[in-house]
Amino acid sequence: MDEDFQDWVLHPGQQNLFWETWLQQHPEKESIVNDARQLVQGIRFRAFSLTAADKEQLWEAVWNGLEETAPTAPVTISRWKHAWKYAAVLLLGIALGAAWWGIQAARRGQTILSTYTRLGETKAVQLPDGSIVTLNADSRLLYAVSGNAREVWLDGEAFFQVKHTANAQQFVVHTYDNLNVEVLGTQFNVNSKGKNIVVVLQQGSILLNITAPRQEKAAALYLRPGEMLTYNRTDGDYSKRSVAADTYTSWHTGRLTMDDYTLHDAAAFMQQVFGKKLIVSDTTLYNDKVSGSMPIIYNPDTMMTQLGKVFRMQFNQRGDEVWIHKK
Amino acid sequence: MNTGKAHKSGLRVVASHSSLWGRFLQGDRHAFAEIYEAHIDDLFHYGMHFCQEKERVKDCLQDLFQDLWSSRAHLSPNVLHIRYYLLSSLRRRLLRALRKDRRYQHRESWEAFEFEYTLPQENQLIINETIAEQKRLLHKALSSLTRRQREAIYLRFFQNLRYDEVAEIMSMQVDSVYNTISKAIGLLKKQLPLPLLLLLLGK
Repeated sequence: MDEDFQDWVLHPGQQNLFWETWLQQHPEKESIVNDARQLVQGIRFRAFSLTAADKEQLWEAVWNGLEETAPTAPVTISRWKHAWKYAAVLLLGIALGAAWWGIQAARRGQTILSTYTRLGETKAVQLPDGSIVTLNADSRLLYAVSGNAREVWLDGEAFFQVKHTANAQQFVVHTYDNLNVEVLGTQFNVNSKGKNIVVVLQQGSILLNITAPRQEKAAALYLRPGEMLTYNRTDGDYSKRSVAADTYTSWHTGRLTMDDYTLHDAAAFMQQVFGKKLIVSDTTLYNDKVSGSMPIIYNPDTMMTQLGKVFRMQFNQRGDEVWIHKK
Repeated sequence: MNTGKAHKSGLRVVASHSSLWGRFLQGDRHAFAEIYEAHIDDLFHYGMHFCQEKERVKDCLQDLFQDLWSSRAHLSPNVLHIRYYLLSSLRRRLLRALRKDRRYQHRESWEAFEFEYTLPQENQLIINETIAEQKRLLHKALSSLTRRQREAIYLRFFQNLRYDEVAEIMSMQVDSVYNTISKAIGLLKKQLPLPLLLLLLGK
């Protein structure tokens, strides 16, 4: 079973919105999940753990052994930071829970898989059907095959390269709002990070289903390559326009494409990918624009230095905040 | 018994970019500390299940992290799964150390990858009389698994490795890993009486 699910089972106090929401949408799965939870909590591998002192001592031994090659002082680590995590992760139960869950899912002809990324990390995964999904930082993906549909639930941003199957099996991307994307085989980007959900089609054709609580806003519309749909998650308004698709999708190949790119855009990028907040002393700077492209380096410091050069500005980091001044 | 299949078609990571490993390769000590912190408990846990000797495990871990740091210039920048990388390295080191030590030849330790079982609190209040018997049965079922089955289950589910990674670590074919694990789970299902399963699944 995947870490996320374990984590949710093991730390019920910590809200894991993803699983909670998913469960709400699939009340019929509740008993399965509860079964798994019961098992997970009951059976475990025998616990072996190092005391904090042991851990520190070992860490020092590692550095002492390295002394000849690395004469500078070792970095200290905090004793308690992850202690709670490991205390709880002592389980096999997962095995049986997973097994049971798997058996149940298999009985219903379903496969349920999930993956996620942390801040500063992207990941490309291949689904069992051969489709490739590239997850941007801090995103979660759940995949299920039920009957004749392939379904994924996305929380965050992902670029999809959907494989057309021989039996023309439908592929549906659900967001946690009233917006679904239906496709057969195509390439597109979905970003549900901000206050808008943004869908950009690079190739092929997709059908967007908007199911609003209020009937008049419900709609189904097609997107052509190079078109972008912006859906406001608060009021359910949406609009469609043509864009340079590459600007929105090139991140999945590791490049940042900047087309009249403002500091505002850079701020959104740093926030989404690294969890860094950019603060500008003089807001008129927000209007400076640049165009071009650069590689994305998954290291916040390097990325900031690069962006600083591009905008010819000084980026100073303080914790998770980045202050920007004119050079 | 379909568990193997349910996971067989899992998500395969085809590429990933993570800052931590990259920073570590560039010689960032904080990144190294983060890697140590993030994995030391799991590595120790695995090591102890593997050979039950605290000092030996600690020695191997010390060597492992020292070598990791001093050979970082030669490591691949594309290590996708740090945990897998460290676990397989630890296993090799432990095996090497155990082979050198004659006392350990041919010792099949039943303590390796041993399970423990505790019933949730609420159930303990409800069914107090049968509990000892239930626990005994469960323990019997769990300890009837072979060391290899337990290790495979451990690596797959406790350490969250993919089947191909488990196969690589244990020097097995991927298919035999599926078989080993699904057999083990089948065995448990067979040995556990229905009431116990219901007790586990009920509530």
